[in-house]
Amino acid sequence: MLQGFILGIASGTACLAYCAPVLVPVLLGEGKNIQRNYVILGQYLGGRLCGYLLFALLAWAVRFPLSGLQDRELVFGVVYVVLALFLVYYGLFNHRALCAGQIIEQRPIKRFSNRLPPMPLVFGFLSGVTLCPPFLLAFTEAADKVAVWQSLLVFFTFFLGTSLYFLPIPLVGAFNRFDALQKVGKLAAVVVAVYYLYAGLIKIAGGVIVS
Amino acid sequence: MSVFSPRPEMPAPSTARGIVRAVLLTLPMLLLIAMMMTQGELPKDSLTRAVTAITYALLGAVFFLMVYKKETYKYRAALFTIVAVCFSIAFIANLVEMRGSMAVSRADMLAGETPFCHLVIPMVIIPAAFTRTIIFPGSLLEGFANIASMLILWLGASLALGRGWCSWVCFFGGFDEGFSRLRKKALIKKIAPVWTYLPWAVLLTLALISALTLSPFYCEWLCPFKAVTEFEQITSFKILLQTIIFASLFILLVVILPLLTRRRTQCGLFCPFAAFQSLANKINIFDLRIDTEKCKNCRLCVKDCPTFSLDENSVGRGKTLMSCTKCGKCVDICPQRAVTYHIKGTPVAVGSDTARILFLYPAFIFMSAIGGSMIVSALTRIFKLIATGSMIG
Repeated sequence: MLQGFILGIASGTACLAYCAPVLVPVLLGEGKNIQRNYVILGQYLGGRLCGYLLFALLAWAVRFPLSGLQDRELVFGVVYVVLALFLVYYGLFNHRALCAGQIIEQRPIKRFSNRLPPMPLVFGFLSGVTLCPPFLLAFTEAADKVAVWQSLLVFFTFFLGTSLYFLPIPLVGAFNRFDALQKVGKLAAVVVAVYYLYAGLIKIAGGVIVS
Repeated sequence: MSVFSPRPEMPAPSTARGIVRAVLLTLPMLLLIAMMMTQGELPKDSLTRAVTAITYALLGAVFFLMVYKKETYKYRAALFTIVAVCFSIAFIANLVEMRGSMAVSRADMLAGETPFCHLVIPMVIIPAAFTRTIIFPGSLLEGFANIASMLILWLGASLALGRGWCSWVCFFGGFDEGFSRLRKKALIKKIAPVWTYLPWAVLLTLALISALTLSPFYCEWLCPFKAVTEFEQITSFKILLQTIIFASLFILLVVILPLLTRRRTQCGLFCPFAAFQSLANKINIFDLRIDTEKCKNCRLCVKDCPTFSLDENSVGRGKTLMSCTKCGKCVDICPQRAVTYHIKGTPVAVGSDTARILFLYPAFIFMSAIGGSMIVSALTRIFKLIATGSMIG
């Protein structure tokens, strides 16, 4: 149990670096105060925990399912593309206080939006299942475990260790009185999406070529 | 009085007095430029001596005209464009002379021979704070355009000019400035205000992704000016793609959109360094003010600001936005002469030329320090080309 936590503490900055390009635009885009930002962070981390536990189950059940390079590239390429599409949706279409005219105009999007879980949860989940180097370490550690609960525990404690580094990020809510930051956050989500879309497509192409 | 009524003139002195005043104000600048360009001794070969004299005369004439005509924008824009073109000529010729091509190889990068430019500065801050490493394949102290000298220059200019850097010092800005002035009328007149936040979004994204990848992501993928400076040797599909992106961004943001909008679209709608540099306006003592009593709300300044730094709200408040580059266009075109350069903490003196002159000195010194050597270098290369058929050697 301690191993997973220490692994999380040791590699937390890398996790933060991987998650910040998604989390920071979302926190800015929501334009909430510090307290509400912690709720959003909770949703994001909840989604990330779901992703981790899903992989814990996979690690235990399938044993090294990521060993095939081509499969790995394809799977994570697709995850990146899906993440990019959600970021574009968040940046361009996910406006909360729509006026009546806009609601009529954007009805299909609105219907789509109503069926979705909170966006930070979705982003947390998709970030949780992307392949960062610390995550691979935890995966290898978990794959060695005999019982499913041990595998889950490794990922859970790893998650706790890495999450400590996320705690200062909601402090960006101190600047929520600047309305412009909300627009910057939404636009940044779209720009980040372009990066993930490119990274995803390259991974998919790489996976296809290798296989 | 209608907004179309004749522009109230400044209380201009008589022509003779005006010339004497302009000469007196230009003399200190001429002395400073001479010191900067010669560094105490005249160049030894006759070609460089002649070229230095031409550049000196050009810089002196531009400053004199700015003071004498009491106009800033058109003279600055012309010189700014010349500097950008000369920078490109001198830089490319220098690279070809040193490396044999515009392309930088992996070996050059590993040897730390990539010239450092100011556009990278916002991307290196977060990784430097966490890793104590500057994520750029350049030299800290050696070679031309090393990291330390560029950082010192940037710090000095940021303190003196704030975001004035983007209209007076940046050796890339003259490209879109030049293209934005080629057409008489804009074909695209309305640009949604939300796009003015894009440079901030690009800055945020690049700062975060550069921290993630520990590489200067903007240089690798998004810098339009790679098209007119240097690019990585094409050895893979990835580098080919990067090169296509550089060229496309240059054509779109620096050529086509400025032509269509008559605005500096790269600087106003995309450049992450520009957004970062806007913060320097907060610590700089110069700004521009609008006399709301004189202003007839004709919105000419809002429509014509090259970097989208004025909107109705800011005009109502009598100030420009944080992104103002102090290019002087609004001051020059205002039919009511309601816009003026201003020193923070002093009363707004519309009609007075003092604050403008006080701003012009540091701004022009930086422009001459950067641009002067580039013009000399480019003219030398051009004369060599005419005389020998080659810029190199």
